[in-house]
Amino acid sequence: MSAETAGPETLGSLSSEPEQQDPNSQKAKEISGKSPLRIALGRLSRDKIAVVCAIVVLFFIICAVFAGTISKLFGVSLETGLASQYVDGLNNGLPKPTMGPPNGPFTWEHPMGVAPRTGEDNLAYWLHGCRISLMIATVATVVASIVGVIVGLLAGFLGGTVDKVLSFFIDMFLTIPFLLAALTLAPILNDRFALSDNYATIQKFSLICVLAMFGWMGTARLIRGEVLALREREFVQAARVMGMPTSRVLFKELLPNLAAPIIISVSLMLPSFVALEAGLAFLGIGVTDGVSWGQTILKAATPTYFREYPQYLWQPLLGIVALVLSLNLLGDAVRDALDPKTRR
Amino acid sequence: MFAYVVKRLISGVLVVALVSMAIFLLFWYGPSSPAQPVCDRETSNRCTPARLEVYEKTLGYDNPVYEEYGKFVKGVFVGRTITIASSEYQCSAPCLGVSFRTKQPVKEELVSRMPATFSVAIGGAFLYLLFGVPIGVAAARRRGTVTDKALVSSFLFISSIPYYLFALLTWLYLTLTFPVPLFSDTGYFSFFSEGPWKWFSGLFLAWVALGIFGCTQYTRFTRGAMVEALSEDYIRTAKAKGLPARTIVYKHGLRAALVPVVTIFGIDFGTLLAGTIFTERIFEIQGIGWWSLQAVQGRDLPVVQATALFSAVVLIISNLLVDVVYSVLDPRVRLS
Amino acid sequence: MKRNKPLALVAGAALLTLAACGGGSSDDGGTGSGSDREFGDQEGGTKDAERQGPAADVEGATPGGTITVYLPGDPGPDSLDPTGGWSVTGNSIQQALTSRSLTQYARDEEGQPVLIPDLATDLGTPNEDYTEWTFTIREDATWEDGKPVTAEEVAFGICRSLDSEAFPSGPGTEYSKHYFAGAEEYEGPYTSKDPKCENWDGVSVDGQDITIKMSVPFPDMDYWGAFMAMGPAPLGNASKPPNYGTQPLANGPYKVDSYKPNEELVLVKNDQWSADSDPGRHQYADSFVFKFNQDQAKVDEIMLSDNADSQTAVSTSLGSDKYNDANGQLGERLVQQTSQCVSTLTPDYTQITDINIRKALAYAYPYEDVWIAGGEVPGVTRVPANSVMPPGMAGKKDFQVDGEQITYDPEKAKALLEESGAEMPYPITMVYYEVDPLAKATQDQITKGFEASGFKVKAIPVQESPYNIWLDPDNKVNKQLNLRGVNWCSDWPAGSTMLPPLLKGGAVYNTALFDEPSVNDEMDNINTLPLEDQAAAWGDLDEKIMTEYFPIIPTAFRNDLFVFGTKVGNPTGDGSIGAPNYKDLYVMQ
Repeated sequence: MSAETAGPETLGSLSSEPEQQDPNSQKAKEISGKSPLRIALGRLSRDKIAVVCAIVVLFFIICAVFAGTISKLFGVSLETGLASQYVDGLNNGLPKPTMGPPNGPFTWEHPMGVAPRTGEDNLAYWLHGCRISLMIATVATVVASIVGVIVGLLAGFLGGTVDKVLSFFIDMFLTIPFLLAALTLAPILNDRFALSDNYATIQKFSLICVLAMFGWMGTARLIRGEVLALREREFVQAARVMGMPTSRVLFKELLPNLAAPIIISVSLMLPSFVALEAGLAFLGIGVTDGVSWGQTILKAATPTYFREYPQYLWQPLLGIVALVLSLNLLGDAVRDALDPKTRR
Repeated sequence: MFAYVVKRLISGVLVVALVSMAIFLLFWYGPSSPAQPVCDRETSNRCTPARLEVYEKTLGYDNPVYEEYGKFVKGVFVGRTITIASSEYQCSAPCLGVSFRTKQPVKEELVSRMPATFSVAIGGAFLYLLFGVPIGVAAARRRGTVTDKALVSSFLFISSIPYYLFALLTWLYLTLTFPVPLFSDTGYFSFFSEGPWKWFSGLFLAWVALGIFGCTQYTRFTRGAMVEALSEDYIRTAKAKGLPARTIVYKHGLRAALVPVVTIFGIDFGTLLAGTIFTERIFEIQGIGWWSLQAVQGRDLPVVQATALFSAVVLIISNLLVDVVYSVLDPRVRLS
Repeated sequence: MKRNKPLALVAGAALLTLAACGGGSSDDGGTGSGSDREFGDQEGGTKDAERQGPAADVEGATPGGTITVYLPGDPGPDSLDPTGGWSVTGNSIQQALTSRSLTQYARDEEGQPVLIPDLATDLGTPNEDYTEWTFTIREDATWEDGKPVTAEEVAFGICRSLDSEAFPSGPGTEYSKHYFAGAEEYEGPYTSKDPKCENWDGVSVDGQDITIKMSVPFPDMDYWGAFMAMGPAPLGNASKPPNYGTQPLANGPYKVDSYKPNEELVLVKNDQWSADSDPGRHQYADSFVFKFNQDQAKVDEIMLSDNADSQTAVSTSLGSDKYNDANGQLGERLVQQTSQCVSTLTPDYTQITDINIRKALAYAYPYEDVWIAGGEVPGVTRVPANSVMPPGMAGKKDFQVDGEQITYDPEKAKALLEESGAEMPYPITMVYYEVDPLAKATQDQITKGFEASGFKVKAIPVQESPYNIWLDPDNKVNKQLNLRGVNWCSDWPAGSTMLPPLLKGGAVYNTALFDEPSVNDEMDNINTLPLEDQAAAWGDLDEKIMTEYFPIIPTAFRNDLFVFGTKVGNPTGDGSIGAPNYKDLYVMQ
């Protein structure tokens, strides 16, 4: 074993350590004739916490997908006029009373108020921030999973030198301090493309690359372990004896049996990437165009704004906490449901 | 076992070498010149292209990258003289270079920042165990009861929040909204020159944030390990023998359960030592994590390099130590 | 000189503001509570060559106590070597307290800086055409070790300022190198391995007199003498850089007790300094503690709490989000001081050739919105600017290019664009410093203002100081730009430190690439006029350039805010440099 950690400074664990299960606490029913995934789904649907979390996650997904439409419904948008129309430069740059709290009464024009200093509409930025957050986390998860699965499959199945080399790289990437690496890489990637016309897209793309680059190791390890076990199973042995090409064995025989570990690693990665994306923005790296929960938190977490306009901080903060929390709890439930120990 | 340790050490050295090369290359081929920060700084931001060239030359950035990397490696082992414009800096082995922003030797600054980070790490890790283990044991003993469920779910809840938000809220609330009278001036104050009380009060909130957040994980680990240990056959034997419950839980159960907890703790502690960027950034503790953040923002190559290498080395050593300790604690594990 | 002050904002945060912060309009909303503050303004430099030590006592001043100075976001000087000091921070602290030079400034009753003698007995004697200046060094000045400061040591200090390799950040790289005879060829005592400075004959010592020869007329030599770089240095190895920079030998009322770069500087009384030898400085407090790199929010909390820590403390800046609280609570303990700086936008003179387009840009710039988004307090820390020369410069004229202050007026901008016959929307390419969210926010405001006025903006994000882009003619980003900016502070209150650096053809910081032979000639010519006529000539030239060419858009004059604790006596700013007036501070007992 080596460098996987659950420490808080790694930002939500990328650890693949499934929670220790108490075999006696849950009475598993005898179910037969169903695939393991069907069984797991059935269990999930009976898990109240899982259902609530799924609904919350669904809410965020809807917000993200329909960010533009919902903004229109409320009559708000990312387009903002000049700052002095919205905020009072002599009152610490806080919103004018007509813009709603904290200095005025609630107004439907800006249901969540406007940002100090710039007057950007908080609701529109919140919705689009949600979109960015989920989009980056999802894509990064997909990329990292694919890389992790491929590396894990190859390392576990081919063994020997390939395994040694790949395991070395897994260990190496686990040793590199992630935050430091991301902090170093992101601005360099950004600078490379500063002249590009679709800079904003490239910036997100490079963030995804950075996240994926340091997120695949957990999956790779998990898959490698599973493959090592599966490799010795009769059906794989049989396929090899029959002379099936390696790629076929890998993708037709092994991969379908890896659904559970892959789902587990995705369930771990997704929330940690959401947290990471915002965390990096909070440190001043990553998305810089302002449409990001983490960046809003960075701007809002000053003593003055926190005292006089705490909503400004709470809006994105609650977004992240609720999303990460429900993704984590949902992931926990999924892992429980998939855990063979509780299936006995 | 010896062979195993040697093997791990070799691979560790390899990792460190690769990491340092990667950082070197990143800066070297990065879009702006690695000499830019030192030039900006030294000329009070009047770094004209002509001046930049002087810095690039004296720092060797017009040489091929492998040559400069070679110099860096050589400096680590035998020391070297670093020239910045017309000033020369003696840098004795192990030379990690001279900061491009402060022109202080990186090694000395690294050493001077260690106490802050180590203080945070030790205090935080201490709280992990202080709260995590007893609560975990208690929960395991009351397994299945309402208390157990409440504990487990509330701790699951806390640990599902991103840590930096937890720390940020701790800071905002405990220093601004409800300032804790003695502890709201957070930061690192030297234990020796400013006195133990100042040191303690400056770090207290950081420890609380780190400790409370981290202990939730340890509660879960300990509880899981305890539950497993208590279901082992030898515990049943002990029970059958009529040993008192206390003895069973603490002497036999806890001892077995602590083994996995200790290993995870070792790795976590290593991670903390390697730099606690968020904690230091939020609580304004000027340790290694805070320093590395500054260095990254200021493109201070030698410092980024040094902090990255430092964390890699700490992580590798702590992992190795953990593995060795684990094999000693648990005779079933053979290192090979 | 204050250019590196913005650098202060950690990681270049402020640099951005350089690029973006402008100033100009806001007569309407910009006033309010801010306008009734007493302004630490200044009317232009006066001189008093007769002033002798000791300096007049500050009324009510008492000796003793320690003054703590917080410098939020300011890393402080990297080195204390007087020859390398060009930053506001280093120069203001050291020149006032530890390191004397030929001349110095004192604050008069109205708060104006007056140039008075320091180590020299008067303000120097120039020859007819200002190509030779003679200063007589006083005999009673001493080092902290008790030895007298000799004319040779002053001459050696001046010679050191020519070593631009050893002191790349020194002001000598700009002034000594440019004006002193033979300075271009001489590389300095360290770089050219000439430790006794024997190979440069630009300065000669005769008894207590030192004579400096100039290669071109240099009428401002007396002002230049107020830089601590124009002060003495111990001969030989004792002052070899970089070691001397950690523990320089003091000759002012205070000496260095301990110094940790970027963290802390502690100064204690220098008992060898005698008040009789110094016409400008005092020695009231027992010690000064300068704390660099402080967190702005934290310092604001301390200063506003008025606890035991903050009563004898000074802060060199105030977070704009605290201005309201501070203004109400602190009264005269919040000092607003003009910093003799101007923020500008510089349209590329070779590309945007029509003056109407340049004026359209000035009307399209949403001044107040930029300030708000950038975290400035309109009308307080940024005020509208009418020309390049900031208030307080000798000869500054109060004219308006178009008869009244240019403000944000998109309709007028469009009309001007139409008049120029340029295609609409007119393309503008500029850069902004992406790492700082405030810089990004100000850029958004600029973009909105410009696009509402018939321009089309392409804003390129950069990860380093925009100056690195603007100053490099070969930079591929720079080649695409047609709008740059520069933030300039004067080194002394004469137009010669504002106009030529920004608007002379070929000057490094002339990012507008403005190059008109008639203007260049006029600048050279002013330097040869009689001293008393020069100020007015610079003022006239300022007006002429702005009305005839409008090559640069002054967006704001900048003000600093200083906060003084309730027990710090004589809370004032130093009008010559944009720093607290350290010389006259004391602790109330």
